[in-house]
Amino acid sequence: MSTLEIKDLYAAVETKEGRKQILKGVNLVVNSGETHAIMGPNGSGKSTLAYTLAGHPKYEVESGEVLLDGQDLLKMTPDERAKAGLFLAMQYPVEVPGVSMTNFLRTAKTEIDGKAPAIRTWTKELTDAMKQLKMDPKFATRSVNEGFSGGEKKRAEVLQLELLKPKFAILDETDSGLDVDALRIVSEGVNRAKAASDFGILMVTHYTRILKYIKPDIVHVFADGHFVKTGGPELADELEETGYDAFMPDGSSESALA
Amino acid sequence: MAELKNTEINIPVADPDDPYAIPAAMPSSADNAPRSFEVGSFPVPTRKQEDWRYTPVDRIAEFFDVFEPSGETALTATYVDGTPLDGAVATWTTEELGAEDSGIVSKPNDRVSAVEWNSAAQAHVLHVVADTPQPILIRVTGAGQDLDALHLVIRTDGNLHADVIVEHAGDARLAEGVEIETGPYSAVSTTFVQEWDATAKHVGNHRIRVGREASLRHSVVTLGGDVVRIRMDQDFAGEHGDLNMLGIYFADPGQHIEHRTMVVHNEPECRSRVVYKGALDGKDAHSTWVGNALIQPTAPGTDSYELNRNLVLTPGAIADSEPNLEIENGNIVGAGHASSCGRFDDEELFYLESRGISEKEARKLVVRGFFGELVEEIGIDSIAAHLMAVIDRRLADSDRR
Repeated sequence: MSTLEIKDLYAAVETKEGRKQILKGVNLVVNSGETHAIMGPNGSGKSTLAYTLAGHPKYEVESGEVLLDGQDLLKMTPDERAKAGLFLAMQYPVEVPGVSMTNFLRTAKTEIDGKAPAIRTWTKELTDAMKQLKMDPKFATRSVNEGFSGGEKKRAEVLQLELLKPKFAILDETDSGLDVDALRIVSEGVNRAKAASDFGILMVTHYTRILKYIKPDIVHVFADGHFVKTGGPELADELEETGYDAFMPDGSSESALA
Repeated sequence: MAELKNTEINIPVADPDDPYAIPAAMPSSADNAPRSFEVGSFPVPTRKQEDWRYTPVDRIAEFFDVFEPSGETALTATYVDGTPLDGAVATWTTEELGAEDSGIVSKPNDRVSAVEWNSAAQAHVLHVVADTPQPILIRVTGAGQDLDALHLVIRTDGNLHADVIVEHAGDARLAEGVEIETGPYSAVSTTFVQEWDATAKHVGNHRIRVGREASLRHSVVTLGGDVVRIRMDQDFAGEHGDLNMLGIYFADPGQHIEHRTMVVHNEPECRSRVVYKGALDGKDAHSTWVGNALIQPTAPGTDSYELNRNLVLTPGAIADSEPNLEIENGNIVGAGHASSCGRFDDEELFYLESRGISEKEARKLVVRGFFGELVEEIGIDSIAAHLMAVIDRRLADSDRR
């Protein structure tokens, strides 16, 4: 049983117009096995929260703590955070030309586990996971994310989630750019991985449609850099009806329906 | 078509009233460039000369005039597993320069190659007469900063298969001339590895002739040295030759690593591929690749392509990349070139790091992948494995710096 605790987190980004504070006092506790949906209008800072937790150098933490079983993630480099058990499935996975998926996955697995995986079980695990995600076996020999379609990239992210078995998974808009079949395959992958290793999930999403496949235990509304409302799954239904208008500056409007 | 070779070709002069009726007379650079065993035929290099514009000439000025060679560079030739050569497969001898087997492939083509020819004491000749059961390894060990000149000839008979590796290591200030001549219908690979110490200087000149109906895979791997400049001039001895030139280089801060390939299509229906890839790490790491391809009027049916890719790992490095094509024959299959310079960027690094891979490992992974693609193309398992081992050694060495 692990706990991820975000305490009063403030973070900013340097822009051409100067420094801009984006996270303004984020507080959250996630336990193993829990699925939290983090919903909010565009530009509210949801993705910034995801990347700040993973340690992207663009975002500068001003104050606060992020504790994974008591260890402060903010004092760690991104690779140390991953080794501590954090995984970020990115909205826009990065292409790394020249590095094959096979080599990348095996290297990552070796780093995370602290030892190289046994060749026979590893190959089988990889092949099975790819088959379940309906990925072409040729994927393994291609460069990381290079020339992958949007849907293929998301499957590759979920493949890594299944293989690396983190303690906490942040899914940043994993549903974006997926058609209904791809959304189902990807969601099933997430559910399968969670059933296997019982990690906690922070699911960042603008829309409610992924929640039909990955059921949240807790739904949060994120606006203007912090959590403004928390409830059960029924809060998502409410957002589907009313959109984010209540949480937005006067006069603007945004739906939560895809 | 072959009889054309020794015939004078008169290219008509364009009619000013109808300039597109016939091709205009345009002397190629190869027609103009001198080829000579005399040092005096070439001016002392300066950066104002086209062939030297990227080279830090002041750092290699000791190679511009004939010198007394130290003769301390050590050479051995064995099979790659260390066992002695079999005389029925290959002979390894020395001779006076220009005696029989040396000075046979073209002539020196610049000041430093003429200086090498006139400075070296003798020629070392590897003559392969039968299939090599495993690669032959010529090991060149530098003897420190005393100036030395070395002339090496690799000849093969026809109708055979041969793999030859030449490895350079240690510290050196070396002018090296290499002649490669392959026999008709042969399939040969020559692989040159430069794993010099950080203070070494190496000015090299390869003159290569590919036999009729023969294939040559010529690979160059330069992984270190203060200044390394290797010029490679090649032509074909007859039709249907197949040339593959592969290059890998890695430049560290302050180092200058330069490769110049000059592919000359002088015979019909020949094919050439030149692929050079380099990684640069650190401030003032400097690499130069100049790829020339000349397709002469005597070479219809030519198929040629050259490619250079550079990967800049950290800011402050400079990669010069210059492909040049001269096409004097309209009846060809293809002549193409491509060049790119990419950066290992922060987003790629973050992506790999977010999967538990440290910054240092991430760089290694990217470089290994970048070169690995090319090494795989070599298609000779024993050579590919040897080169990956060399690259891994170089990457492991980076950790210690």
